[in-house]
Amino acid sequence: MMWQRLFVSLLLLLAWPAMAHKASDSYLTLQVQGEQVTGQWDIALRDIDFAIGLDADGDGTINWGELRARHDAVAAWAFSALTLTRGGDCPLQVTQHQVDEHTDGTYAVLKFVATCPASTGDVALDYRLLFDLDALHRGLLRLDVDDLTHSSVFAPDSRRQTFSGERVSQWTQFGQFLQQGVWHIWIGFDHILFLLSLLLPVVLVRVHGGWRGVDRIGESVREVLWVVTSFTVAHSITLSLAALGFVSLPSWLVESAIALSVVVAAFNNIVPMFNRLRWLVAFGFGLIHGFGFASVLAELGLPQDTLVLSLVGFNLGVEAGQLAIVVALLPVIFWLRNTAFYRRGILVGGSLLIMLLASVWLAERLFDLKLISA
Amino acid sequence: MPHDRPRRLLPHWLAPSFGLALCLLAGPLHAAPYTPTQDTQVLETLPGRAGDATARELATLRAALAKAPNDPDAATALAQRYFDLALARGDPRYVGYAEAIVSRFSAAMPAPLLTLRGVLRQYRHDFAGGLKDFATALALDPDHAVAHAWRGAIFLVQADYAAAQRECDALKRLGRNALAGSCQGLAQAYGGQLNASYDTLQATLSQVSDPDSRLWLLTRLGEVAAWRGQTARAQAHYREALSLGRDDVYLLAAWSDFLLDTGQPADVVRLLSAWESADSLLLRLAEAGTTLQQPTAARHRQMLTDRFAAARARGDTTHRAEEARFELRLRNDPKTALRLAQENYAVQREPRDARVLLEAAIAAQDSSGAEPARDWMRSSGFEDARLRQLAQASAKPNQPGDKP
Repeated sequence: MMWQRLFVSLLLLLAWPAMAHKASDSYLTLQVQGEQVTGQWDIALRDIDFAIGLDADGDGTINWGELRARHDAVAAWAFSALTLTRGGDCPLQVTQHQVDEHTDGTYAVLKFVATCPASTGDVALDYRLLFDLDALHRGLLRLDVDDLTHSSVFAPDSRRQTFSGERVSQWTQFGQFLQQGVWHIWIGFDHILFLLSLLLPVVLVRVHGGWRGVDRIGESVREVLWVVTSFTVAHSITLSLAALGFVSLPSWLVESAIALSVVVAAFNNIVPMFNRLRWLVAFGFGLIHGFGFASVLAELGLPQDTLVLSLVGFNLGVEAGQLAIVVALLPVIFWLRNTAFYRRGILVGGSLLIMLLASVWLAERLFDLKLISA
Repeated sequence: MPHDRPRRLLPHWLAPSFGLALCLLAGPLHAAPYTPTQDTQVLETLPGRAGDATARELATLRAALAKAPNDPDAATALAQRYFDLALARGDPRYVGYAEAIVSRFSAAMPAPLLTLRGVLRQYRHDFAGGLKDFATALALDPDHAVAHAWRGAIFLVQADYAAAQRECDALKRLGRNALAGSCQGLAQAYGGQLNASYDTLQATLSQVSDPDSRLWLLTRLGEVAAWRGQTARAQAHYREALSLGRDDVYLLAAWSDFLLDTGQPADVVRLLSAWESADSLLLRLAEAGTTLQQPTAARHRQMLTDRFAAARARGDTTHRAEEARFELRLRNDPKTALRLAQENYAVQREPRDARVLLEAAIAAQDSSGAEPARDWMRSSGFEDARLRQLAQASAKPNQPGDKP
């Protein structure tokens, strides 16, 4: 025996696993709508040849004629290794044979349909293709069951898998979007900084070119209500319009305008321009922020069947998140309102910092740069 | 202070179902299926012809196993042949074939079959499973040198040099001098004794005549010389290995890395232009092409992106070291590179694994991320000057909370 060769190869192998070529995969795509199933299954020609033989003339290549002659055998072999059930067996019927290129070569493409006994309930798959011949073979599944998408991988130790046909309940979905709304406002630094810039001066009043602390917290609360309500009403309008597809703006414009809104709001704390009209600023720029929220919602993918409910959930989440920030912030700044630390350090210094950061964002978003973003 | 634009955070915190949908969208995209028009259109070239020597040999072995499906010797013979083919051609499908045969057996496996199962397990980076099989095989047959050799190799990759040394000693005791010398040479190199390692490998080289062993030893001598800073000597070893005229992915990769490190990317492009099919070599080719700003580099980078995506889709995590290097050097994404390098380092701890971890941590300005590699440098005493510099650079306090 060649022990040396073995040792040689073993060290190479440890360093270079699964290189050069790819292990065997098949790609199975299924759409199950009620009892109707359509599907596509891509299986590597090399794997089919290894299992049932395709190279009729033995020249080491497979041409279209050789594959065409074996189409029935390919379908029979493949379908004998896949069982689809929904309320009982759904027999698979091939509708078209094609081919496609994947990263590691040419694949046979089987398009097929099936009809299941039941139109609701779980969908179960039993996948056995090639496992007896190739233990590293994997079946890569993408499955839509009544518009709900699943993805999974079949392996020798996970041949049988069941996918829930249950839709997520409306209220679960509502709850998910509510959470996303809260979460988005908390991690959406640009929204927070905008709100923060507008809220910092609510504990102060402008008197003869200087600041004076308010006497009672009620005055501040009233001011906060005006600002937050204006912001909310405005962004709810544009969020809904954009999410329902009535209006759309290019994202660079929205993102840049949001950054600009932060710059303006912070600048107003250093050189007061709007004073008691901050609610108007909140409303105007709130319209823009709504488009920003809408792009998040678009990325989440709004379910068509519970469109309005999900939209309301997300919006309420955003409000709840905002409210939490205000509730935490207001007592603190009210308490600090008469200190120099607050007036110079927080109001002026903090606003300067916010302005600086937002200016960088603005430049980044306008010119598609990466300055501070990771 | 926020450093991230909120939109970019999205994929990390999306609810699982949304994340899954995004993964699917981000998966590898393929051209649309089509129907060929000509029967003569060649769709695929198979790895061998029906009548060639390898195919005949495989047919004989398959027939023998078909006649005696429960005979462990027949199974071992065919599975071993498949595995050898996997190594020679770098084709993992043959590993799958071998594993399918071995997995039909469970109880009362003889030592060679157990060892083979261990080898197949370590191939999937199931090192614990592999070590268990080798231990069982050695309990059945304490003189089974192959099991010792593989166990030594796993310990080397895991940076457990004391355990590796015991396997080298066992090989020596069994009189397997070439195996023992190769084992010893690597254990010394990784364990911080480059000079001793060089002498051991040289001495072993003088004892072996078969070209495969010579190629392996010369390649390792090239690496050790390069770590010692002896560029000319390293070059001579690599050239002698190449002059043996055998295709060897590891040699080509090591030589390409040497050329890239010494500023000779044009030679890498010449060397590897016909090796796009090997992922590890494609990576080096893309690096060289990118350095030289060649128009083919963009295509090579895209090919790598597709191949890593395909591996990820099937849940294959054995490419992480290469993928980390790809993210670091070709996609300029040090954060992803560091994550991959860390995941890889938790499994494999050879010098090249340490290097990509250190480089990624430096690029990501995350000193603590490279801590495991620096620990290894300290405990092993590994002597390569480049790695020492990287370790120092990575330890610079560029993060609050780091000790100077």
